[in-house]
Amino acid sequence: MQNKIELTAISHHFETGTDRIELFNDLSFTVECGETLAIVGPSGAGKSSLLSIAAGLEKPTTGDVRFILDGNIADIRTLRANSGFIFQQFHLMPELDAISNLALPLRLKGNKAAFQLAREWLEKVGLKDRAHHRPHQLSGGEQQRIAIARAFITKPKFIFADEPTGNLDAKTSESVTSLMFECAQETKCGLVIVTHSNRLAVRASHTFRLQGGQLEQAA
Amino acid sequence: MSKIKLILENSIRSLKDSDGRIGLLTQTILLAFLLVLTLTSGSVQHYLADNLDQMLGSDLVIESHTELDKDKIAKLTAMTGELAQTALANITLTHKDRWARARLKLVGANYPLQGTLRLSDGLGTTEQISQNGPKEGDIWIGPRLAARLGLNVGDSLKVGDALLRVDAILLHEPDRIMEGHNVDMRAMVSHTNTTAMLGNDNRALHRYLLAANVPQRAEIEAWVSNNMPAATLIKKHGGQHPLSAFWTRTENFLGLASVLLFFMGAVALDMTNRRWLAKMRYRLALYTSFGTPMKTGITMAVGEWLVTFIATTVAALLLAFAAFGLIIGEMQNIFPGLEANPDFIAAAKTTGLVFLLLLALKAPSFIQLAQSSLLSLIRTQSEGTYIWHRLVFGLLSVSMLAVAYSDNWLLTGMTLFAVVIALALMLLLTWSIVKVGNLWGRHRTGLLPFSFFIAQQRLIAKSAQIMGLGLCGLLLLFTMMLMRDLGGMMESHARTHDGNLLVSQAHEYHVQALEEWAGQTGSSIRTLKPFVSAQLVAINGTKLDDYMQKPSDTLATLKDPIRLSWADQIPENNRLTGGTWWAQDTENWQQISTEPEVMTDMELEFGDRLTYQIEGKSYDFTLVASHAFKSGASSITFWFQVPGIARQHIEAPTRYMGSMELPETAWPALARLWQAHPSLSLAPLKELTERFDRTLAMVTKVTSGYAAMVLLLSLFVLAASVSGFRADDRLKNGLLMSMGFSNRDCLRLNFYDWGITALIAAIGAIAGTWIAGSLIYEEQFGLTYRPDLVWVSATVLMMVSTVCLIGYLACRQSLKVSVRNLIAA
Ligand SMILES: Nc1ncnc2c1ncn2[C@@H]1O[C@H](COP(=O)(O)OP(=O)(O)O)[C@@H](O)[C@H]1O
Ligand SMILES: [Mg+2]
Repeated sequence: MQNKIELTAISHHFETGTDRIELFNDLSFTVECGETLAIVGPSGAGKSSLLSIAAGLEKPTTGDVRFILDGNIADIRTLRANSGFIFQQFHLMPELDAISNLALPLRLKGNKAAFQLAREWLEKVGLKDRAHHRPHQLSGGEQQRIAIARAFITKPKFIFADEPTGNLDAKTSESVTSLMFECAQETKCGLVIVTHSNRLAVRASHTFRLQGGQLEQAA
Repeated sequence: MSKIKLILENSIRSLKDSDGRIGLLTQTILLAFLLVLTLTSGSVQHYLADNLDQMLGSDLVIESHTELDKDKIAKLTAMTGELAQTALANITLTHKDRWARARLKLVGANYPLQGTLRLSDGLGTTEQISQNGPKEGDIWIGPRLAARLGLNVGDSLKVGDALLRVDAILLHEPDRIMEGHNVDMRAMVSHTNTTAMLGNDNRALHRYLLAANVPQRAEIEAWVSNNMPAATLIKKHGGQHPLSAFWTRTENFLGLASVLLFFMGAVALDMTNRRWLAKMRYRLALYTSFGTPMKTGITMAVGEWLVTFIATTVAALLLAFAAFGLIIGEMQNIFPGLEANPDFIAAAKTTGLVFLLLLALKAPSFIQLAQSSLLSLIRTQSEGTYIWHRLVFGLLSVSMLAVAYSDNWLLTGMTLFAVVIALALMLLLTWSIVKVGNLWGRHRTGLLPFSFFIAQQRLIAKSAQIMGLGLCGLLLLFTMMLMRDLGGMMESHARTHDGNLLVSQAHEYHVQALEEWAGQTGSSIRTLKPFVSAQLVAINGTKLDDYMQKPSDTLATLKDPIRLSWADQIPENNRLTGGTWWAQDTENWQQISTEPEVMTDMELEFGDRLTYQIEGKSYDFTLVASHAFKSGASSITFWFQVPGIARQHIEAPTRYMGSMELPETAWPALARLWQAHPSLSLAPLKELTERFDRTLAMVTKVTSGYAAMVLLLSLFVLAASVSGFRADDRLKNGLLMSMGFSNRDCLRLNFYDWGITALIAAIGAIAGTWIAGSLIYEEQFGLTYRPDLVWVSATVLMMVSTVCLIGYLACRQSLKVSVRNLIAA
């Protein structure tokens, strides 16, 4: 089965009253299931925008984005139902404890074994004994682990991560990064990571550098 | 299934934060209030319908202020076969040196046509049943009257020229319902010797009880409407209860009150809604990031709201039924025998209505929810606050509610006008104060400029908060002021009245007797103004009954004869409010002036033709002017006035109304005057105050209940406003503390913030109250609006300090949390 996202000749810019912010011009690349892709670049280069376009959250000014799921061209809704996100600010629901946060996506999909699965994932990310702690009782790294587990728990075909380690210290980043890549490998999903950390980027199967509106394949 | 469980969990969790609780409480209180209103009203209406069926004493009743002549009675008798004549008059009964005003019912030989009378031999003895009224020469008196006059069965009582024997204590008569909420003392005599008892006072109300089958009814109805324009026909079957108009008006007044309460509730809900919306948008954005379709998310949000509404309904129903039982208990004084049988269908309808209204208030939020986006989790996005939508929408729905509920257009219009002006003023003040403050603070440093800066950033949210608080203040202030002033007015009414004895109606021959009596007792007559009793029967040729369907106090009053006075010049205690008063020597006698409120309520315009029935004859007048009461001179004023020359064209006895001043020694001599002239209407100040006290007690009960509701909702608004802005404040405080400001600085900043908020809100509230006061007082209560400066400033001070105190407490609480938590939140 073939799952991929194809971006062809993408250009994007923002209009703010008088100004026009040019982000990039004529970019093309493909994300496939089972591979990991890192996008690096300085802040403000347009990485988040590119990720949003690839995830179908935003439409590029010009260019073509195609989502192919199980060999067929899919619409944004179908893509959404098959994708997950990891955010720089973790974005756990503050009123829910760890296990409820994890179980939430499954419950929304009507999965009866939601809490059972959530417990297993909690164990996998090493936070079994924190099940009933609320986000504000957890450290940033712990919160991000739960957020990662939450993204993977529904077994999506693509995961989009925007600076997942941007709010973490170096050591925690390391373990969070490992966790993310392990999960991606295990579930064989396509993982797109936007980051400014080279240490993270080198672990990806492909790395692109976005700079001056150009996308260069790095090493 | 798991989604439904999730919805339930979310709903329960939402009650853990203060916004959710305040929202729930507000909805519950509003719904409970409206349910109580509906249930009570249903019970009263059921009671009225029931009573009409069982207790009219006949199939039809014709009510007229003039006695029917022999021909008409013969005609009616021919049409039906059975007719019983009754008449009602207010007279003063005297026994030894005690006196009491009573409503005397004179009944014909075949009274009542249906039903029975209940009597007893003395106070507290067993009941007897009678099929007929008292015999000639006998009088039956009500228990209260017996107690007041110290009369027992067997005593004799002089009424006018007739000497009557007290034959029984009258407990109940079948057509008692016609008296309804009237709590006057009662007596009943035979109809035969009317003249001896009443003199030629034809001010009595005449009632003709008829037994009739269906075709006869139609015939009579047609005949009455053609031949007796000033008469009222009361039908047992499918008819209107005489009290139903009174009750409709009461309901309409309560309707306006509930509209205002709903307004406050809407403000509180809107404030909690701000945070709810932010939370929901965040939640929905997250749900989308798990691959949940937006539609599912919105459905869940709606479901959650539904669950909350169901919880509201359950709580409100419990509350409402408890209150309903208590209120019915109280109301049995006005409607004896009233039962608490709840109308579940009506309750369901009200719940449905409230559901729709709350849904309408929430709808803009649900629509906005659809715009929540996953992108907002990646980078912050500006979100519209839709303040205009909310404001216009809120005002519109409240106005529509008002239209549905209230019949007093002038009052409703004025209230809403004052509210809108106050809102506009607060908006203007907020914007200009914040802008000017910012301009001033631009090149300055310190906390005050900074708080202006923050206010500028949150201008829209701030305006909403200020308007909400201000509106609450306005309603609170106005209700309390009205309560205080109405009470004050009622108390002082008696005192400011010129004289200590009100002459509410005297005949020409009474005047002479009055003057003589005054001379003998050293009393003085202060004012006596002439009038004739006239009944408005048509406007521009349309019969009054057909002219207007909308019930109002004015219309209800105009269905009975009113006092028509005459004057060449505008009376000293009146001022012209529209049109032109006639020239002093005018030849055109068919001109009339009325009060502006009458014009508004009856939708009259200058040039309209008013037809009056006076002593059985019709007279037309053209409306040319309007006049209003002006304090200073005498307190007696008339709704309708015509040129002095008109008196020569009207064939009717002149009556007088006025006031007297009695020295202490003259009071015992009153009994003598009344004995000779029982139909002379005099109301001693003492009695007047007693009556006022009774009314006042009821008014006070109703208004205190209402004020308590307003106060409760104000607290909700305040709590909602503090709670809704707490998160913002926490962030601001955290930021400040991280920049090295101390706890005290933060508190001071909050103090400025809440102080400015409360001050603008208070100014708006006072301005609104002032506008409402000067509009409504003059028009509706005939009072000149003189705000008590000390009282107003005390109230404002209290409002501002309450708001500041609560803001301060909330801030102190948020400061207890460490900087790290503050930033993280
Ligand atoms: N909605 C927007 N309107 C205007 N400019 C925007 C908007 N969103 C992002 N930008 C600008 O686009 C540029 C790229 O943003 P972003 O994609 O977030 O970059 P990165 O993630 O690489 O830091 C930035 O300069 C940012 O200011
Ligand atoms: Mg970015």
